[in-house]
Amino acid sequence: MQKIVVPGEKLSDAQIRIENTISDSKGTFSCIMGSYDDEKKVLVPLEGLWNPKRDDQVVGVVEEDKGNMYIINLNAPYKGLMLSKFLEFELKAGDIITAIVKELEKGGTVMLLRPRVLEGGKIISVKPSKIPRIIGKGNTMIKQITDGTGSSITIGLNGVIWLNGGNVDLATSAILKVEEEAHTSGLTERIRDMLTEKVL
Amino acid sequence: MGGSNKPELIKDGKRLDGRSPDQLRPIKIEVGVIKNAVGSAYIEWGNNKIIAGVYGPKEALPKHIQDPEKAIIKCRYSMAPFSSLEEHGRTGPNRRSTEISKVTKEVFENVVQLEKFPGAEIDLYIEVLQGDGGTRAAGITAAAVALAASGIPMTDMPYSVSAGKVGDAVILDLNKIEDNFSDADMPVAISPRTGEMLLLQMDGNLTKQEINTAMQMILKSGAEISRIQKEALKSQYEKILEKYNK
Amino acid sequence: MQIRTVTEDYIKDLLDKGIREDGRELTSYRNISIRKGVIPSAEGSAEVMLGNTKVLAGVKLGIGEPMPDKPEEGNLMTNAELLPIASESYETGPPSPESIELARVVDRGIRAANVVDPKSLFIEKDKVWSLFVDVYILNYDGNLFDAGTLAAVSALATARMPKYENEAVIREGNLGKLRTENIVTSCTFAKIGKKLILDPDSNEEEFMNGRITIANDENSIRAMQKGLSGSFSPKELESLMDVTFDKSKELRRQIIQLGE
Repeated sequence: MQKIVVPGEKLSDAQIRIENTISDSKGTFSCIMGSYDDEKKVLVPLEGLWNPKRDDQVVGVVEEDKGNMYIINLNAPYKGLMLSKFLEFELKAGDIITAIVKELEKGGTVMLLRPRVLEGGKIISVKPSKIPRIIGKGNTMIKQITDGTGSSITIGLNGVIWLNGGNVDLATSAILKVEEEAHTSGLTERIRDMLTEKVL
Repeated sequence: MGGSNKPELIKDGKRLDGRSPDQLRPIKIEVGVIKNAVGSAYIEWGNNKIIAGVYGPKEALPKHIQDPEKAIIKCRYSMAPFSSLEEHGRTGPNRRSTEISKVTKEVFENVVQLEKFPGAEIDLYIEVLQGDGGTRAAGITAAAVALAASGIPMTDMPYSVSAGKVGDAVILDLNKIEDNFSDADMPVAISPRTGEMLLLQMDGNLTKQEINTAMQMILKSGAEISRIQKEALKSQYEKILEKYNK
Repeated sequence: MQIRTVTEDYIKDLLDKGIREDGRELTSYRNISIRKGVIPSAEGSAEVMLGNTKVLAGVKLGIGEPMPDKPEEGNLMTNAELLPIASESYETGPPSPESIELARVVDRGIRAANVVDPKSLFIEKDKVWSLFVDVYILNYDGNLFDAGTLAAVSALATARMPKYENEAVIREGNLGKLRTENIVTSCTFAKIGKKLILDPDSNEEEFMNGRITIANDENSIRAMQKGLSGSFSPKELESLMDVTFDKSKELRRQIIQLGE
């Protein structure tokens, strides 16, 4: 049985090791707003921030060209950094790019690699905790949205999503619906209905 | 403190607004009222109307304030110039609001997992739109909800309330008029998980016994305040769950 | 810094097709809602939602001295606060030029349209009412000028009037209404490229190069303010005045409704 928990709420009388919890002699307590599955002992964040890991794909905007490096705004507590010497082309401030995380440096900086410029379109930002649901198991959710709208969509695990072409408005609404209802079941079907209704 | 035209604040065990000595004013909390903020909450606590909002974590600026080991919290508590039934107030920080901002920040430095965001800052704003006594406690209670809603990890969700004394009686949750004529005021913030105090201020005149009584009232009311905080956070999700689980 | 969610090209491409990001026409407002009396401690108050822009105005009255050059008139003071809670990009600290401009533009409309007659604030020799209007920006999503004026005028139009008796101000009990003479509203337009749009949101304001605010009552223009480096032709101004007279009818209707 799933239940919604808040910071400080007891998950178990026992001390168990789960991410985003704290244990003391009285038991194990949540540190976040989350959806907790008592049988599987899994705590899924409902709100939350992106924890950068190696090989994460991100979407961001070039904020500044510092000559030997670029500063990338990732809409996150972390600033993206890219060394110009690894690039075969130049970037300019305002470019939307996607890139891969090389590593998280000390002091809240994320070193990025392999940028690709995303031409045109727009970006939206969603709660990073909802990105896995927006992608779906085996990409099912996002494939359904791209197929249903004809939009090209690039998802950054930092919660920034780029959309271009096709029915961008419909794709945006579908993604925002998944964000809002991520913790419910039957969502894939509801999104399918939403996409087919609008097309008809 | 103890003015000359003191009204009769307690009569036959009831206060001016009809409350018993250990009774809270009605409290209502709404989550997500400021769209731009990462987390926000609006609290109505009696006649207090307060908005709390959170931005960040983001790179701490200017750079020299950065802590390479953990995030820092910046807090601003302020009162709107129209927040009182009396004269138009002055805008901008004063000594009182600067002190409240500092002790509020220290409450949250205890529970927010700052080590998860080295070099970052978390901004916490508390805007009192209407004040009627106990605004710092109500502001801290709302700020805890705003932080939880932001997803910033915290080891607990604190609440805050004050107790004090009018005449011979120890009372909980003083409103403005009670505060104006009280013999003591003691705002406290508690971490429910540990039972520890995160804020403690007091001025006036209380015996050790009276402080113990006040503390018992505060801890007892905490269950109610915590319940309202949790419900405000959960209701938005549970509503959506309910809609589709039928 | 919050990330820019759209590029200039994206906005301009849309405008070329005559549409906007949220599907509005070029001269349409976002949804507007006004709630009066939200802060009972203030003599008057109103919260305005203009799309996601959220503005709260509070009116307070106190006893003051008249200005030496206007001994028979009360004082009117309008202040605006871009609260740091309203946007990632607002800082704490002394008032920014933006907040001062906002306060002065709102103030100018209210004064020029004689929303409150300063003579009606006279009490006795050397004693007048000082009327404070505080415009509090709670959430920023563009067009603070129109939202600020709407909130301020709504708060004035629904304010109660304290009494001055035996050298004391009485703020509670059986009070009449603050006397208002007129209603003023404003329409703000942004210029992006060559296109003119009404009620810009924050994405549009990011890319506008000119801004113009026209404040009017039923019959005349009462105040104007052009902002930013871009320019407007007299012909453009003429057409914007037409739009303003047309669109302000609905704004005025909403304020009048509050008093009913």
